[in-house]
Amino acid sequence: MSKPIILYSHKGGPNPWKVAIILEELGLPYETKFVEFQDMKEGPLIDVNPNGRVPAIEDPNTGVAMFESGAIVEYLVETYDKSNNLTYTSSPEKYLLKSWLHFQMSGQGPYFGQKAWFELYHPEKNLKSAIDRYANEIRRVLGVVDAHLKKQGTEYLVGDKCTYADLAWVPWDMALQFLLGEGAKKVEEELPTYKAWHDRLMARPAVQKIVEERTKANSQ
Amino acid sequence: MSTSDEPTITLYTTQTPNGIKISITLEELGLPYKVHKIDLKTDVQKEPWFLALNPNGRIPTLSDTFTDGSPIALFESGAIMQYLVARYDSDHKISYPAHTREFHETNCWLFFQNAGVGPMQGQANHFLRYAPEKIEYGVQRYTNETRRLYGVLDSHLEKTNRPYLVGEKCTIADIACWGWVAAAGWAGVEIEEFPTLKAWEERMAQRPGVEKGRHVPERHGIKDLLKDKAKMERIANESREWVQKGMKEDAERMEREKQREREK
Repeated sequence: MSKPIILYSHKGGPNPWKVAIILEELGLPYETKFVEFQDMKEGPLIDVNPNGRVPAIEDPNTGVAMFESGAIVEYLVETYDKSNNLTYTSSPEKYLLKSWLHFQMSGQGPYFGQKAWFELYHPEKNLKSAIDRYANEIRRVLGVVDAHLKKQGTEYLVGDKCTYADLAWVPWDMALQFLLGEGAKKVEEELPTYKAWHDRLMARPAVQKIVEERTKANSQ
Repeated sequence: MSTSDEPTITLYTTQTPNGIKISITLEELGLPYKVHKIDLKTDVQKEPWFLALNPNGRIPTLSDTFTDGSPIALFESGAIMQYLVARYDSDHKISYPAHTREFHETNCWLFFQNAGVGPMQGQANHFLRYAPEKIEYGVQRYTNETRRLYGVLDSHLEKTNRPYLVGEKCTIADIACWGWVAAAGWAGVEIEEFPTLKAWEERMAQRPGVEKGRHVPERHGIKDLLKDKAKMERIANESREWVQKGMKEDAERMEREKQREREK
């Protein structure tokens, strides 16, 4: 490939940074375009993503435009990860990765996001049953990861190789403190296998680079 | 596939929009499969044998004999659908060949359903039908978000003027959406607001694979139920009771686990 991939992103939202981590890990050139919420229903984003959300990408090398972070991650890995650094071509590993990616997309993202809403943005702060609902779900979902890693005795979700299915979890897990406040530390103490896995992912140079870029973008 | 008469595929499921995605996919592909009904009310999905198949303790879950003869177990409806077409749809009846533009576009809509329509419509169901206290804001928030997502599907279908989400062919993306759209009224969404989506829903319902697959593991009653308001209320009340019981038990179990962890 020669031309940079265009990544439509937002400084605050976790999901665009998921795609950035994969682009970094694969060493692909890309150009980030930040879109403000009020501009998401307009061109050029709406032409790429009819849902008017980020992330979305345009790949000038293939002419392919994509939306939904999970679908974008699969596209990038299938198109550019020729040496299988972040994936498996062997079965059943190849398909197990999909189970974990889909679990992240449908189990982690939406519920972590709802907790953020009721805790931080919703004008009424006393909706205890709604806040508890999503806090419990965060604890439950991370408990599933913890128990799975413990049972498998592996460093990563599928085998001992870090894959896209692990990396997909990073941005929302990074927000744990923001989502649970004091409770974040408790969850990490209660789920030490999850915590060790998260720290292992955070220590990767590509993840570190994205953390720095995100901090930089938010301080501008 | 195995040469014996016994199907290699077992689908662990119950009658929900996510469960019927898989039975419809299997019917569309004409694959033989066994059905194992999971009784969510008696917490079968939390038993160790089931957690060994799906660590998240949810339906649908699918087990199969892999090409090498060893067993494979998969969870998450989207992943299961991707597996089934990758392995069995070599004629591309409900999928496009890997690396084509249409293949990637199918995945965009598949994830749009799994990360958007499903979770948001599920939350609308929760706040409208099952929540322990009536939080009007919760009902509004999720019903409106579901309506917004339906609007995206409706205008995409209208704009592209094609019978299905990705071109002329029904794909796993359409199948993933159908069970949810067919149950719109349960989440307080009027399908009449979205005429192109409604026509698509009816087109999908005409497909023999959809008709056969939707009645797994038992009759798909939601379309009839939505026509009977009194019965809807009764079913919602019954469901509310056991959903809340499950939530309470989950919270208590987590407390016990925390306690054990502290005592270590």
